[in-house]
Amino acid sequence: MAEIDCQGRTTRQINAAIKEFIAQGESQVLLHNPAARHNLGVGIVQSARLEFAGSVGYFCAGMSAGPTVEIQGSAGWGLAESMMEGRVVVRGSAGNGAAASVRGGTVVIHGDAAARLGVSLKGGLVLVGGSCGYMAGFMAQKGTLVVCGDVGEAFADSMYEATCFVGGRIGDLGNDAVIKEPTARERAKLEALLSEHLPGRPNPDFKKVVSGRKLWNFNKQERALWREAL
Amino acid sequence: MCGIAGYLDKGGGKVEVGRLVLRMLEALGSRGPDSAGVALYAERPGGELVLRVKLGEDGRPEMYVPRVVEQAGKAGQVRQAQQTAEYLWLTLDSREEPRQLERAIESAGPGVEVVSMGRQLEIIKQVGSPQNLDATYAISRFMGSHGLGHTRLSTESRIDLSHSQPFWAHGYPDLAVVHNGHICNYHKLRRIYEQQGHRFYTENDSEIIGMYLAGRLGEGLSLRQAMDASMGDLDGSFSYLAATPGEFGFAKDPFAFKPLLYAETEGFVAVATEEIALRAALGGEYEAREAQAGEVRVWQR
Repeated sequence: MAEIDCQGRTTRQINAAIKEFIAQGESQVLLHNPAARHNLGVGIVQSARLEFAGSVGYFCAGMSAGPTVEIQGSAGWGLAESMMEGRVVVRGSAGNGAAASVRGGTVVIHGDAAARLGVSLKGGLVLVGGSCGYMAGFMAQKGTLVVCGDVGEAFADSMYEATCFVGGRIGDLGNDAVIKEPTARERAKLEALLSEHLPGRPNPDFKKVVSGRKLWNFNKQERALWREAL
Repeated sequence: MCGIAGYLDKGGGKVEVGRLVLRMLEALGSRGPDSAGVALYAERPGGELVLRVKLGEDGRPEMYVPRVVEQAGKAGQVRQAQQTAEYLWLTLDSREEPRQLERAIESAGPGVEVVSMGRQLEIIKQVGSPQNLDATYAISRFMGSHGLGHTRLSTESRIDLSHSQPFWAHGYPDLAVVHNGHICNYHKLRRIYEQQGHRFYTENDSEIIGMYLAGRLGEGLSLRQAMDASMGDLDGSFSYLAATPGEFGFAKDPFAFKPLLYAETEGFVAVATEEIALRAALGGEYEAREAQAGEVRVWQR
């Protein structure tokens, strides 16, 4: 396994070193002393495994397509933003805007996620072991968002189409978000996801939240809808 | 932008709080290079008042020293007086009402300002980087129980010592605040306070937070209650820290516009705009958590 000590290196040097190791055929890179620095492990488009031995700052693993990234500590704002494919796992908690605009792959947050989780989600799976802040799933278009704990206000607001599952309390539902009962197949899928990504966690009684599809196209005469949405 | 940081030693003893806050500020330096400042708390065995006075702004600070000492002497017994760069550091025994004492000292000359007053609090701030602050005032040697720090990216008001943070809540001894964000109803609140006779020292919207909390504490609220109430009364984007000799806390606006993280162990509580500051100053195992939208937390020493 290749190792990089982040201390004493600039962000650009760290990211260049990661890419260089991967180009040389290394499949695993361990990064020491990330010290919550920003923009680490961004734009990686190969399927290598990166491990950060500590916390990372903003935008870690952003714009990546392929790598498996494991963060032993917490992550700052914009974790895995716009990821195309791959897997990002945070052992601690994540800051605001985690998994925003993700198109594919899996983001697993063992602790809590702060506000604006998975906004404009366009695919993939986002799984949170703890709770999350307000406006998670805002304008999500595709993909799956699973929060084992509580979710904050305006959950799943103005979604086009995505499927959310909440294990705890829902602060309140956003515009056009609708609660449904998960099917038996979905329950089995959730159980499998939990045992794969968050083993040992109890499987809560999930509620399913989807788009009511009323905002997809609506008549401008429908004033009540306008008022509610704006 | 701006960066804020705070540290509380749960043992309540004397730790290198100056060095810790400074380290955090250095790590946050890229969030704002315009000015830097700290508010540090330490118990003083004598229990005398400590004042940090900004001397006049005309480039000859030493000129104002005798007048300031004379004015302070009228309100009490001056124990020590020492000038460093733009500041006069004073300790005195006085039973004078804080606002009266402040006015008396500030009558010593134009631009003379009591930057902090209290039995434990000392505020030191200036234009420039945290490193400069340490080079001039040896912050890193300050031993105490807790402290706040601020590094500023000026957006809407002047860059000078007075407009820098932390802010002491003028007239209310030992209460200090650091703020990252923007208080949108500042002008409205300012008019209300001015009608009540409060004097504003700056055009900086952050100044109003200390004034607000002082008002609430004066009404008999606890710091926790005052900070909870501020969620409804302050409008805008903010993460702020507030401290008194006995308490230390943070508040984050209901939309979580501004970042703020905290870490708590058996030994300490540390709060900062970015985790990078915590990791730079504090080793060991701890988890840093992003404060939730609208979250208020207060710790007792």
